[in-house]
Amino acid sequence: MIIAERRPLPEILANLSPYKKILVLGCRGCVAVCSAGGDREVAILAEAIRLARERQGSPVEVYEEILIRQCDPEYLQPLAEWMSKIEAVVSMACGVGVNLIADLYPSLRVYPGVDTTFYGANVALGEWVEKCRGCGDCIIDQTAGLCPIARCAKNLLNGPCGGSQGGKCEVRKDMPCVWHLIIDRLKERGELERLLEITPPKDWRPAGGDGLRVRKRPDLTLS
Amino acid sequence: MAQGLRIDILCCNYTNLAEREDFYEVPVEIEIKRFPCGGHIEVTDILRALRLGASGVMVCACEKGTCHNGKGNERAEKKVLSARNILQEIGMEPERITFYFVPRLDAESFVEDLKEFYKKLLELKIKERSR
Amino acid sequence: MEVKSHLQRVLSSGQLAVTAEIGPPRNADPEVIKRKAKLLKGYVDAVNITDCQTAIVRISSIASAILVMAEGLEPVAQMTCRDRNRIGIQADLLGASALGIRNLLCLTGDHPKFGNHPMAKPVFDLDSLQLLKLVRDLEEGYFANGEEIKGRKPQFFRGAAENPFAEPYYIRAYRLAKKIKAGAQFIQTQIIYNVDRFREFMEDCERLGLLDKVYILAGITPPKSVGMAKYMKYHVPGLDVPDEIIKRLEGAKDVREEGINIAVELIQRIKDIPGVKGFHIMAIEWEEAVPEIVKRAGLYPRPEYEVPIYPFVVERVVERPVEMVVEKVIEKVVEKPVEVIVEKEIEKPIEVYIEKAITELEEGMAKGQISLESFIEILANLKAGLKQIKAGMDSVEETIEILEQEFFGKGKPTKVELKEVPKVEEKEKIKPQVQPEIKEKVEVKKEAEVKPEEEKIAPEPIAEVKPEAKGEKKPEVKPETKPEEKREESAEKGPEVKPEVKPEVKPEVKPEVKAEGKLEVKTRLFKGTYRPLSERAKKVPESAYLDRATGEIQEVVIGKDGKAIKVGGAKALNFHYFEGELPNSIQIAYEILDIKPEDWPESLAKYYQDVWHDPALWAKKCVEEYGASAICLYLLGTDPNGLNLPANHAIEVVKKVTSAVDVPLIVWGSGNAEKDVEVLREVSEIVGPRGAVIGPVVDTNHRTLGAVAMGYGIPVIASSPIDVNLAKQLNILLENIGVSLDKILMDPSIGALGYGIEYTFSVMERIRLAALYGQDTKLACPFICSIGKEVWKTKEASLPTDETFGDQEERGVLMEALTAVTLAMAGGDLLIMRHPVAVKLCYTLFNSLSQA
Repeated sequence: MIIAERRPLPEILANLSPYKKILVLGCRGCVAVCSAGGDREVAILAEAIRLARERQGSPVEVYEEILIRQCDPEYLQPLAEWMSKIEAVVSMACGVGVNLIADLYPSLRVYPGVDTTFYGANVALGEWVEKCRGCGDCIIDQTAGLCPIARCAKNLLNGPCGGSQGGKCEVRKDMPCVWHLIIDRLKERGELERLLEITPPKDWRPAGGDGLRVRKRPDLTLS
Repeated sequence: MAQGLRIDILCCNYTNLAEREDFYEVPVEIEIKRFPCGGHIEVTDILRALRLGASGVMVCACEKGTCHNGKGNERAEKKVLSARNILQEIGMEPERITFYFVPRLDAESFVEDLKEFYKKLLELKIKERSR
Repeated sequence: MEVKSHLQRVLSSGQLAVTAEIGPPRNADPEVIKRKAKLLKGYVDAVNITDCQTAIVRISSIASAILVMAEGLEPVAQMTCRDRNRIGIQADLLGASALGIRNLLCLTGDHPKFGNHPMAKPVFDLDSLQLLKLVRDLEEGYFANGEEIKGRKPQFFRGAAENPFAEPYYIRAYRLAKKIKAGAQFIQTQIIYNVDRFREFMEDCERLGLLDKVYILAGITPPKSVGMAKYMKYHVPGLDVPDEIIKRLEGAKDVREEGINIAVELIQRIKDIPGVKGFHIMAIEWEEAVPEIVKRAGLYPRPEYEVPIYPFVVERVVERPVEMVVEKVIEKVVEKPVEVIVEKEIEKPIEVYIEKAITELEEGMAKGQISLESFIEILANLKAGLKQIKAGMDSVEETIEILEQEFFGKGKPTKVELKEVPKVEEKEKIKPQVQPEIKEKVEVKKEAEVKPEEEKIAPEPIAEVKPEAKGEKKPEVKPETKPEEKREESAEKGPEVKPEVKPEVKPEVKPEVKAEGKLEVKTRLFKGTYRPLSERAKKVPESAYLDRATGEIQEVVIGKDGKAIKVGGAKALNFHYFEGELPNSIQIAYEILDIKPEDWPESLAKYYQDVWHDPALWAKKCVEEYGASAICLYLLGTDPNGLNLPANHAIEVVKKVTSAVDVPLIVWGSGNAEKDVEVLREVSEIVGPRGAVIGPVVDTNHRTLGAVAMGYGIPVIASSPIDVNLAKQLNILLENIGVSLDKILMDPSIGALGYGIEYTFSVMERIRLAALYGQDTKLACPFICSIGKEVWKTKEASLPTDETFGDQEERGVLMEALTAVTLAMAGGDLLIMRHPVAVKLCYTLFNSLSQA
């Protein structure tokens, strides 16, 4: 899922300082699952804004609404009704939601409530770890299912580098060396000879090097 | 009341059975909100109490290992940490929120904790004035 | 201590500054940069060195800047944000400053998508504004992280680019203000054609009070052709080319001349706009135009200041390559002999030179000063020269001598000389009558013979003889008297012919006269100076110079049935007849275009302009009139950067041509890998069954085109950018998908005389040596060289006739012929050429050599 994290409150508050009527808009998609922008987080942010503005002596009306998703125009339709009641929206969805709101409601002031950080897995209660970087050209068939693009600080395709020690990465000691993991895994599978092949330089266009990425399914489009 | 202070106590239903007369030594306005369990106390509740006029919020939950629901008390402790972080971010003193593990049925120790918190809030108030 | 750059001094003195631009080469050859720098020196105050422009890998800007500095020209290094993060950028900037580079242009840079490595990870850690600020911070003593620079700080005259024509317009002046705020001291603008819009921009700048804060250099580009102007108008975003410019070019007789005029006029108009402090002249791939523009615009001479003292490091860096021992040895040994070959064609004393070298060697050997190994090596390098002598010193030298004499005038009028060249053609044509069946080969040989005769018989009259030729071509202009005189002087030569010729206008008339000449010539061939190699080298054991090849070149058959031609099959280096079998002579294909050529000089156009509206007629003319044994159809019109005509157009043209002529056909695509797939796939359906060659095939489209060619069993042109390894790799790739090596012609991407021919020569030679002597079978394919294209786009081929450069046509013909001969010696097997006279010249040489 897409992992996000609430932005620092001073920044959110600074963005909202000119407004008196604010909507905090949550999303029940990824950000709800990773506890960044679901019902509970919306309530907390709304309350924090109220409290902060109260203390600043400029009270504010904060409304709360949670949508099923913010990455689909249909699910954003309820926003139309809010337009007349509010001056600004803090979206707690990932960046996709914020962008889409800005696309669909150009006159609405929309501000991000979270920083969208990565694609990760919920490996433990309250802990999410990056597993994929969305580079558009999957290579983990070569690497025993472990992604060096996402998990190696140097994005090495022919690792490990000389900085791998005791299974840890030299860049951050709390980070396992993914190439160490790959080697262990390949060894278990008896596929170590895969490492003898030189993986050629990667084409970075599918990773966004080429600009806006678009996916189309002509078989799904209806006029 | 003389100092214009108000303390909100958010606590677990089971945590204490202290009554109004137990607090006679603490000369402040006190509001007690009982929750079904410490785990049910939300960050929002703490923040809302502050917004609605509380000078400080005291969150109490059962002592470790005695939670009726397993780990509700521990959750309450984490919520307090989270709420204190938010106070910090918006420029309020995190000390306005405190947390105590309170033994069940022991009103005395509970009141002691309250007194301690009260003193802290007084100090804050004095600091505020001197500014 | 502050060292002002030369550019900065010129600008601060209040004079209009002039800068130009050099695009470094896509290889490691420093000569290209040096040559361009020499060309510009004295005409500009500083020269920009692009940083891999359009994201194509080239010599780096800083390294090139050092080379330019060594030529005494001040560089403006360019730094983009595309390839380096802030660490790399700062490191390079420190280095640039340490090496004495004083001017720096800060750019964001073109996205890799536009270059030749679109899959590369774009960096863009910074943008141009952040870069400007970073440079200023460095100069003030701080790294980008705020850390202090301890010790010497870098120093630059900081520049930036601005495009007044990008939309929205109203933001441009503000953006400029931002760049100035970030640290820009001078600005080079985008290419200006729309002066009115530029004036508005400058007024905006004035309103914002920017003109006192920054030096603005207006960007000027002379349009080189109509195609280029159109390309800029329609395909370069943010470039505003008014229609009138294109109309002017279309209406111009000499497009390049008009392009220069346009540039000069632009400068005159822009000069007086307040705030313009100079000009940045970007003559893209046309550096030669810059001096002309500067002169005509009244910007010459350039101010001179004391040469700033560059750090010692610079000199060392420049000198090192020269000092390298290995290089020296190779260069000296290789170059002398190679030069000998070339010089032979131009100068008489070659023979002596070689003999001298041989005697020296002999002496050296006798004294034991030269080791046998080095001797063998030297001899190997001399081989080409020796062979040529063996092949027929007389005929070769004399042929060239005639041309040379004419070329340098020898007191005779240039115009007269010009006409001689056409004569040769005519002579050839005559031959068919004499020996109708054998046609080409015989003719060519005879011609070669004929030329020497003329010289010997009447050395002085040569000039006069030439006028005759003219008379034939342009009957009205030339007085009849001249032809008569000639007849008298060289009585044997058919005087009657001339009168006949005049009415016809075309060169075909002359045949009878020449035929006679030819016969006579034969007896004189090899007379006098020629001594067989065996005689001259008799003191040297044969084993010391004879070096038989261990490999052989594939033989490629082009076309089918009786008309098919064969190329390759060599078991020795070209013309080394004494070393091994060379079963197939060098073939020349006439090049025709699918559309009417736009920028062909008059001297070439006149041979084809009656037919070039119709490729079929054109092909027919080449075959029937000029005796072409093969036709190369260049599908220029399909180029996406040009007219971008669809595949249907190509099909139509190819159909026409195939039905008009039956000689083997070479279909040469636009060179755009994607478009060629589209076009050539369709075209192959038509030409496949009759046999043809298609290409160019490059690494990115070798799969599809290789498969198409295999389907029809036709050969492909494997095109690689002047590089041994890339050529080999492409051959291997093609072989991997099933194209056999005897279906591959290698196109090494040649350069014309004066435009990198030495580099082409060396690469081709290395490929051929690897194939013949290095057992490298993957390189053992014949070469195809597209010579016409390269030669006729040079400035020299199209500059008008004048006293310094001599006659336009003669110059062009010689350029093409010399390029062709040189590359034939390097191993060229199939040459694609344009000018019929040049073709004849080449055949003359080749045949006389093979005869010897």
